Order: sequence, then C-alpha cells, then structure tokens
Amino acid sequence: MAILEGRNLRKTYRLSRRNTVEALKGVEISIEKGEMVAIMGPSGSGKSTLMHILGLLHAPDPNHGPAPELRLAGEDVAALSDNARTKIRARRMGFVFQDFNLVPTLTALENVTLACDYAGIGGKLGRQAGLEALALVGLEDRANHKPSELSGGEQQRVAIARALVNKPEIILADEPTGNLDSDRSAEVLALLRQFNREHGQTVVLVTHDSEVGEACDRVIRMRDGRIRDYGQRAAATAAAPVIAVPAVAVPA
Amino acid sequence: MRLVRDLGRRKLRSTLTITGIMIGIMALVVFGSMANKIDALVKGGSEYYKDKVTVSAKGGTMGLGGVLSTRMVDQIETLDGVDVALASTMMMVSDDASAVSMGIPPMIVGSIAGSDKGRETFKLNYASGRALTPQDEGSNVVVLGSDLSKQLKAKVGGTVTLRGETFQVVGILEPTLTAPDNEAAVPLAAAQQLLIKTLPALIADKLNVNEIATGLVVYPKPGVDPQKVADEIKAAIAGVTPMTGKDFDKQIGAATSVLSAILIGIGLISLLVGGLSVINTMAMSVAERTREIGIKRAIGASRWRIRREIVIESAVIGLIGGLLGLTLGFLITALGNDAGRDSGTILFDLTFGTALSSVTFATILGAVAGFIPAWHASRLDPVAALRYE
Ligand SMILES: Nc1ncnc2c1ncn2[C@@H]1O[C@H](COP(=O)(O)OP(=O)(O)OP(=O)(O)O)[C@@H](O)[C@H]1O
Ligand SMILES: [Mg+2]
Repeated sequence: MAILEGRNLRKTYRLSRRNTVEALKGVEISIEKGEMVAIMGPSGSGKSTLMHILGLLHAPDPNHGPAPELRLAGEDVAALSDNARTKIRARRMGFVFQDFNLVPTLTALENVTLACDYAGIGGKLGRQAGLEALALVGLEDRANHKPSELSGGEQQRVAIARALVNKPEIILADEPTGNLDSDRSAEVLALLRQFNREHGQTVVLVTHDSEVGEACDRVIRMRDGRIRDYGQRAAATAAAPVIAVPAVAVPA
Repeated sequence: MRLVRDLGRRKLRSTLTITGIMIGIMALVVFGSMANKIDALVKGGSEYYKDKVTVSAKGGTMGLGGVLSTRMVDQIETLDGVDVALASTMMMVSDDASAVSMGIPPMIVGSIAGSDKGRETFKLNYASGRALTPQDEGSNVVVLGSDLSKQLKAKVGGTVTLRGETFQVVGILEPTLTAPDNEAAVPLAAAQQLLIKTLPALIADKLNVNEIATGLVVYPKPGVDPQKVADEIKAAIAGVTPMTGKDFDKQIGAATSVLSAILIGIGLISLLVGGLSVINTMAMSVAERTREIGIKRAIGASRWRIRREIVIESAVIGLIGGLLGLTLGFLITALGNDAGRDSGTILFDLTFGTALSSVTFATILGAVAGFIPAWHASRLDPVAALRYE
C-alpha cells in the first residue's frame, strides 16, 4: 500500500516578476508503507523542494497545469489548511535535517519532549516517551545536555529521537548525514534502518552519498525538477521481514 | 522555567526593557497615588458640603474670606428653608506660604460644639482623647487632625502652640483622608481671639470680638434644596456669598480632575514609551529566533502555539517591570509622605487598587506589545525560517 502518493507536483519560486525558478516541474511519486527510500540527484535538482511538499511544509502549486494530488495513507492532503497540515506534521511525521536544528536553549530531553508536546502528549507521559526515545538512540545519559554540549553526531541522534518519539508513520530526512563524518553517518543510517526494520516506519531521505543510497531499499533519482529514475526495490531488502507494527501516533 | 531561561539569554536587552516598564509603572504609581490623595480630599469635601450651604463674606469661599458677624446666624435661621445655622471661624495655622506646598494648608477651625444641633452627618472618629463640648468655650483646648497631630508631634494631654497661643490637646482624630486631617478644631471663642489679632487695628477696634466669624454653616430643612436656601440667603443678606455642594463640585472638582488627568497622563506617556520598548525587544528576539521558530513550526507547533509563547514571554517582561515599578513607587511615596509629614503635606495615597491596576496594566501592556511580533513570528514560512541565518 502506498503511504505517500503525489501526482503533478509543481513548485515555482518567484524571485521577482521576471525571475522565476521552476524547482519542480510535475513530479509523480509513490512511496510504499514500510519502505526506506533515498532521493538522490545533483544540487538544485529539487530534492529539498519535493521533501517540503511531501512533509506538508509547503503546498504544491495549485494552478498551472493539471491539478496536483497528494495523498497520505489514501487521504487527500493537497489543499489542507495550515492548521490541519501542522497537526499532521506533529502527529504523523518526523523530520530530520542536515544541520540538526535543535533548539539551542533547550536540553536534549526538552528538545525531544517538545515534539510530544506538539502532538498533544504533555507532562509525565511526554517525559517518559522522551527518555525512551533518547535511550533508543543511545543518549539517555546526555538527556540534560544542551545541544552546544553535544557532538554533531550526538546532536543528530537527538534530532532522530525527536523525529521518532511520537512513533510517526513517516520519517523525512533531508541530508541527515550531510554534516557528519563517515563513521557518524553510518551510525545515523543504522538507526534509521533499525527503526524502519523494527517498527515498519517509512523513511524517505535525501542524500548525496551513494553508500547511503545503497543502504536503502530504493533510490529515486532526480534531475532538473523531475524524477528520472524510480529505482528498483533491491530483492534482498524487499525480502527482509518488515514487522508491520501499526503506526501509533498517541501511545495509550 | 524555560521562559525565565529564555529571558536570561538576552539579559541586557530584557533588563533595559524591564527598566523601561519599571520607570513607567513607577511614574504611574507615584502620580496615581498623588491623584488618589487629591481625589480623596475632593471627595471628602464634596461629601461634607453636599447637604449644606456655606456662607462666606463676598468674594470668599468655603467659609474663608472677610469677616462676618455671628448675628447673621439668627437672621438666617428666620429664613424659610433653613433648619439650623452656626458660625465658624477659620484661619490658617501659619501664614508662612512656604509651608503650603500642596493640598490644603493646616487650618484652625473654631465653632461652638453642638451648635449644629445634631445636623452634621460627616462622621469623625477619635484615635485618642475626646470631642470638644460646649463647656470648652472660654478655654484653650484643641482637637487635632491626624496629619496635623503628627506634624506638631502632639499627644492628648500635651500642649501645642497655635498662632502664639498655647492650647491643651484633648483629642486626636483618626485619618479621614480629607480636610479634617489637617485641621485644629478649637472652641469658637478661642478662634475669635486668634482672628481679631490677624486684623488691622483700625478694623479690629470697631469689631466686637465675640461676634466675629469667617463663615456660616447653614443646614436646610429636610427635603429643601440647598440651592433654594442659597438663593434665599443671597436675597436676604447683602455682602455674602453662599456656596452649595454643587458649587464646590464645580469649582474644586473640575480643577482637580484636570490635575489628576494630567498626573495620570504623564504616567501613561512614560508607559507608552515602555510599551514601544517591549515591542522592540520582542521584535528583535523574534528575528533572533527565526530559525528556532522554523524548527518548532516544522515539527508541529501551530501558529497559535508560537504566538502564545511570545505573548506570554512579553507579558512576563511586563509583569516583572510592573512589580519592580510598584516596589519603587511604593518606596518613593512612603519616603515622600515621611518627609512631608513635618510640613503637614501628605502628598501620596497609594491604594491597593492603584497597586493592583498598575501591575495588571504593565502585564497587559507587555502582552499587547508582544502581540505584533508574535503575529509576525506565527506567519513565518517554516522552510524559509529554517534556512534563516
Ligand atoms: N526559497 C527559494 N527561493 C527561490 N528559489 C529557490 C528557493 N528554494 C529553492 N530554490 C531553487 O529551487 C531549485 C531547487 O532547489 P532545492 O533546494 O529543491 O534543490 P536540492 O535538490 O535540494 O539541492 P541541494 O542538493 O543543493 O540541497 C534550485 O534551483 C534553488 O535555487
Ligand atoms: Mg536540498
């Protein structure tokens, strides 16, 4: 079953009246539930733009060419209000960014529980979930550290804990290993792979690193605002057991 | 806790903003307390004059001015609407103008105890000692108002010197927040003796000291409009000016309400400046945190959450500034009143209402000032905000 499906996704950035950039020129994409997909392509090919649309941070352009379609687990999300999109981001998606993007004044634990808070899980429950998520990424002993007191790799693991804490259906990661050395990247990738395997969480990540791409189930290649190659699900990984734990947004 | 830490992060700017609010609230508290004092004075006067007509010599007011004759009492009591009339003699405790900086100067008020025949409704409470009695006529005894007793450092049983004469203190009043606080009540005869000494010899020689007064207090019959009585008096007796409670409100109330408005206006203007400073601080703090706001929006903070966060933060700035300003204002008014006591000028009346409304006002001001930056922050595009350096 496709968890994310997009059709006719376009995005034009308007810099001035004359100067526009067509970042996405009509993309059709389908991502299966439980898949771990890499998006690769040259700089400026529209990878981040596509991620923002899939992550409901931006809406696809509505009014040139055929109408855009975007479905999340079958539900039409192409034209939702800001509030509705925010709610989906909070409860059903997890984000990991290239430069970690932790809130600098908050501790590791507070950064993680912030996501619980936005998903409507506050207080003790949130704290507990936060500690568990930090334990999953091996940072329970850094819970009270500020981002500035953590290494880059550790910061990115905190960001992954934050993305995972609500057990979202999809994790979207834009160059999550872009700022890390190869050992740290391997750790981060292993973590994402682990959650994908163990909890059936769908992972979509953008990368420039072909090793990272090879570790994924499938590599989608973009060029010049279009998808050039949808990739093949590697036989070996496709056969790997995907434990279909139903994605639960709010733990009981 | 987080919030306090967030404020701490921008220590200098927050401190300056809080200082701005603090100064504004301090001004509001100090000027507000001054306005309270004036209001209480006026309200007390209004209450006192409401049910009576006060007669002064032509050109005078409130029972002060030229010399009248006590014989007018009988003449006025024959008038239709008049129930009771009595003579009173008033003068300043000191002619030294420097002692009269603000409010009402300390006054000596002489009248025969009980001559109102129970008509006076303005209640006086005694902190110590007793009220004057008709038997006190002929002796030099005095009942002092609360502020005046402090100024003269007087106690019941002790003596004070008023215009060169020694008086025995028989009673001290509780504070009324209005005119009696600064009055020395003496028997009529004693006041007449003091008054005659203030008059030029040429005039004084022609007067009978037992018949002089500066004012007459006239109580209308129940149900009779004081204005009608005032008109009757004007028609019947030449050379006097009657004043009703309405006249008092018109003359004094109008003047003091302008003064109060000016005082509070000054406080509000300083607060406006404080409020602009909050807007500035919060706008800069929003700009500084653009990226953080982008992160929060991306991981699911609603616009409402972002707004709430910023509005609460600036309300806390307002609250802290308000509390500090109130503390400072309290110190200033307390010290000012202490210093003024010696000269008999109590300038400030810091009421609970003034304190509470200043702090509430500061908090609301902070919140409102935070709203513009908060709105801006909540409308940021999360993706653009994330890219912001
Ligand atoms: N906010 C923006 N305003 C104007 N143009 C933009 C904006 N964001 C992206 N673009 C343009 O859109 C095109 C696609 O950008 P996008 O960020 O999606 O590329 P990318 O594939 O993620 O590149 P990279 O690998 O360098 O991150 C680029 O030409 C870029 O210059
Ligand atoms: Mg990119």
